Amino acid sequence: MPSQQGKKTLHIESSGQLCIYCGACVGICPLNCIYLDETRITFDERICTRCEICVKACPVGAIEIG
Amino acid sequence: MPKNLTTDVLVIGAGPAGSMTAKWAAKKGANVLMIEKRQEIGSPVRCGEGMSKDWFSEVGIKAGRWINVEVEGARIYSPSEKLLEINEKHAGNEVGYVVERDGFDKALAIDAANAGVDVKLKTAATAILKENGKVVGVRAKEFGEPFEIRAPVTIGADGFESQIGRWAGLPTNIALRDMDSCLQYRMTNVDCDVRYCDFYLGKVAPGGYVWIFPKEEGLANVGIGVQVSQIRNPAEARTYLDAWIKNHPAYAKGKTIDVVGGGVSISPPIKQAAADGIMLVGDAARMIDPLTGGGIANGCIAGKICGEVAAEAAAAGTPTKEFFQRYEKGWRARLEEKLYRNWLAKEKLCSLSDETFDKIFDALEGVKLEKLTVHNILKAVHTKYPEVTREFESFL
Repeated sequence: MPSQQGKKTLHIESSGQLCIYCGACVGICPLNCIYLDETRITFDERICTRCEICVKACPVGAIEIG
Repeated sequence: MPKNLTTDVLVIGAGPAGSMTAKWAAKKGANVLMIEKRQEIGSPVRCGEGMSKDWFSEVGIKAGRWINVEVEGARIYSPSEKLLEINEKHAGNEVGYVVERDGFDKALAIDAANAGVDVKLKTAATAILKENGKVVGVRAKEFGEPFEIRAPVTIGADGFESQIGRWAGLPTNIALRDMDSCLQYRMTNVDCDVRYCDFYLGKVAPGGYVWIFPKEEGLANVGIGVQVSQIRNPAEARTYLDAWIKNHPAYAKGKTIDVVGGGVSISPPIKQAAADGIMLVGDAARMIDPLTGGGIANGCIAGKICGEVAAEAAAAGTPTKEFFQRYEKGWRARLEEKLYRNWLAKEKLCSLSDETFDKIFDALEGVKLEKLTVHNILKAVHTKYPEVTREFESFL
C-alpha cells in the first residue's frame, strides 16, 4: 500500500517473531536510515528510498516492502 | 540524569576490537571510558566462534576457559564433496580454536578493566558531537537517561553496523557483493568431528560457504554465509542452510538450540578509517578477512595499534586526522595487503561454477602442498587443468 509520499510501505518485523536483532540491515543500508537499539529496530521513513537492499540482507526475512 | 562526562579516549562498543583498543590506550596512560549498549558484554553471540591463535601473543591474549576445543585442521569440501584436508600448520590464519565468544569477549573486557578502563553497560551512543567539523564525543543514553560524553579521541568499535563511522562521515558503505548474510544454528545430537572445522563450498552457499565448527562431541555451530548480491528471495540464508542440513543426515538428525544471525563484510580495505577526533576499528572499519569472513584477529591486531595511537594523541593534545595517520599506517602495514589480496581471491571464487570448484579439488587430490597459499594451489591445479587456471593468471 503506498504511503502518503507515494512510497511503498517498508515493514520491519522487529517484535521478535522474526527479527533476531543481528544488525545486518543496519550495516548494509546505503543511506544509514536503519537504527538498532538492542531489541528495537527503527528506520527513517523520510530518508528510506525503498531500495530493498535490507530485504535481501536480512537472513530471516523479517523485512517486507509492499 | 547521568552527569556529563569527559575522558581522554572514548571507545564505543565492548567487542574484541573495542576492549583491545581500550586496554592498550589505558596501558599507554590515557583515561579511557568504554561504553556498551547491551546489558551483557559478549551476549547475544553473533559469531561462528572459530578463531586462529597465532596472533595471541602480539596483542597480549592468554588462552582461557573460553576455549571449547582446539582443532587439528580444516576440511574443505567441493560441491561434489571432494575433500581437501588442511593441517593446522598449513592453514594460515583461520584454524585454531572453537570458542565461547561471550566468554572470550568478557575476558578481553576484564583485561581492559584491569588495565584501568572504565566500563559502562546499557549505554548507547545516540549521536555524534561535532565542533568545527571535528568529532568531540557523543550523545549517549545510560539506562535510557541522556547525557554527553566528551573526549578528544572517540573510537568507533561498534561492529558491522558501523553507525559511529557513518555518523562521522567515514566511507564505511559496502557494496552488495561485499557482504554475506549469515545464519547459524547451534545444533546438538549431530555427528561432528571435534578435530576439524568443516567448510562446504559452491552453490550450497552462493558467494560464501557452509561451516561446521564443533564445540564438543555431538554439539556444533552449523552456519552459512550467502553473498547478498546473489540473494533473490527474502530469508534465503535460512532457506539455503535448511536445505544443506536436510541433505546431510549427520546434521539433519540434530536439534537446534540457538539461532545466530548477522552481516559479515567481505570488502576491500576501507579507504579512510580515521578523521579529526575519531578512529574506527574492527568490523566497524571493515577489517574482516574477505576470504574467510574472520574478523576477531584483525580487529584485535588493529585495536592494539589504535589504542596506542589514541593515547599518544590524547597526551599530545593532537587528535587530528594527520596525527591518526600513525594508526592508518600501522594497521595498513600489518593487514592491508592481505585484505586486498584476499578480496581479489574472494571475487574470483564467487564467480566459479560448481564444475570448476570440483576440478580444482580434483587437481589437488593427492598433491602434497608444503604451504597452503593461493599461489601453490593454482600451481597444482595448473599441471592438471591449465584451462581452469587461465582466468587466474593475475594471481600466478
